[in-house]
Amino acid sequence: MTKLSPPRHSGVIRFRYDSDDSQASSGGSERNMRVLVVEDEKKTAAFVRKALQAEGFAVDVCHNGDEAWAGALTTPFDAIVLDIMLPGRDGLSLLRQLRQHSIATPVLLLSARGEVNERVDGLNAGADDYLPKPFVLAELVARVRALGRRGGESKPAVLQVADLRLDTLTRRAERRGVLIELTAREYRLLEFLMRSAGQICGRMAILEKVWDYSFDPGSNLVDVNVMRLREKIDADFEPKLLHTVRGLGYVIKEPS
Amino acid sequence: MLLVALLATGALAYYELVIEARPQAQGAQPAGKSAKEPAPADIIEIAMFCSIIPAVALALAGGWWVMRRTLAPVTALTQAAEQMNEHNLGTPLPRTGSGDELDRLTEVFNAMTARLNSAFARLREFTLHASHELKTPLTVMHAELENWLRDDRLATEQRQRVESQLDEIQRLAKIVDSLTLLTRADAGQVVLGREAVRLDDLLREALADAESLSQPAGVTATLEACDEVTILGDRHRLRQLLLNLCDNAVKYNQPGGKVTLELHRADARAELRISNTGRGIPPEVLPKVFDPFFRGDASHSQAVEGCGLGLSIARWIVTAHGGTIRIASEPGGLTSAIVGLPVPVDADRQKTS
Repeated sequence: MTKLSPPRHSGVIRFRYDSDDSQASSGGSERNMRVLVVEDEKKTAAFVRKALQAEGFAVDVCHNGDEAWAGALTTPFDAIVLDIMLPGRDGLSLLRQLRQHSIATPVLLLSARGEVNERVDGLNAGADDYLPKPFVLAELVARVRALGRRGGESKPAVLQVADLRLDTLTRRAERRGVLIELTAREYRLLEFLMRSAGQICGRMAILEKVWDYSFDPGSNLVDVNVMRLREKIDADFEPKLLHTVRGLGYVIKEPS
Repeated sequence: MLLVALLATGALAYYELVIEARPQAQGAQPAGKSAKEPAPADIIEIAMFCSIIPAVALALAGGWWVMRRTLAPVTALTQAAEQMNEHNLGTPLPRTGSGDELDRLTEVFNAMTARLNSAFARLREFTLHASHELKTPLTVMHAELENWLRDDRLATEQRQRVESQLDEIQRLAKIVDSLTLLTRADAGQVVLGREAVRLDDLLREALADAESLSQPAGVTATLEACDEVTILGDRHRLRQLLLNLCDNAVKYNQPGGKVTLELHRADARAELRISNTGRGIPPEVLPKVFDPFFRGDASHSQAVEGCGLGLSIARWIVTAHGGTIRIASEPGGLTSAIVGLPVPVDADRQKTS
């Protein structure tokens, strides 16, 4: 289980692996998850394999679509990480074929182009999630884990990290009983970060899930909104919960 | 046609002259003959003349028709050459197949456009492949640096270098994404949605983004006018357009400055205007602002983040929606991006369907 080291200075944390994670929320079933990684670029495939193995997943790697098709037919995987551009059968055709054969294994698509058409095509073809390249490895791992959990547990209505509470039904946020006023955008941002508490959220992922932008606007929209949100939830309280992971993104987490 | 009409009038005038001159001529003739009876010579004369007129007219019309028919391929060639641009080079002109000089000219013309077309296609292919090929090493580099950050033994200074490199990789990835989008758009590979979109709703949403962007920059963003407008278009791309323009209006502003958003509807047209205070754009560089990688004067561009493709993308989104975009600027005064978009008369009805 990945864990983040405690913050060293305001808002910015350094990020490293920590093997003895007492907060690990993952159950035993996740640890035994079997994942198929389909990626023709050998180095990328190796990185993804290593990162997933570090999470305790069993990982199989295929470098082309035909091999992957044969593998997916014979082995019941818990999740598939699928690159779109592949030699032989491309990712989208493979995905369509899987769905036609009623193989409902959750699929995370990887694509070199962060194109909206490709995302829509992928989701239409039956993908469960989509990640444009270059992706944050930690985020890929988090999304694969979420795919494995899919359907297993229902979304809680009240989210809580330390003494920060967010009621998703009344859309009320409070910390230590003090009501925090949020704009619509800040609320969605906080909900997204709290639903993935403890996991790094990359800027692209935040733009996609909170703003529904699948393009990079080339602006610091995410950063300024995170800063405003931090003002509201962290400025008057201790400990700080919303952290910047330099070069990668943001995370909400309870200090360990 | 005019010529035929002229000839007919001339003939009529000649005929009248002959008939009217007749009584005088008859008077001079011997009394044995009836005054009412025309002379055989006159009948021949009239008959001959009457047949000349249609013959001449027919010959002229025929000549005109033959000429038109002969020159038709030339006209077609001229029109085709006029309409030719980099997007329709692939459509060859229809050939007559007669093997004459004009047919040969069409053949040569088609061969020339085909060569140009393949040159353009190769250029686009190259850019598409290049962007894919660039993304792969970027992904590997990103993953490698990310793994590096996980190493506890990394000293703070090294850590900062790695983090800064990660930022640069993400910036490069953005440029590659934008270039891919522009290339694909140019190649006609980007399909735009066409649904009823409330432009005023999108603008209010963009205002929220503009406000959050402008606050740290010490700039205030206001919505000055917002008529209700429904257009047919791609919601996603229109949001991208608005954010692009708002982002520019904040970036090229000054502390204490203003960003104003306006949306007006005039009959079949929506006019969107996003203005900002700031240094303004000198008139001589205005025509270049939509060019890829153009970022105003060099000294200023260093201070402004971005890849210089935003306005190129904005222009593509607007033209793909059948609209127009221009920038008006008074140096030191207000700089405005003015977007005109067509409003279909039945857009409001389509919204409910």
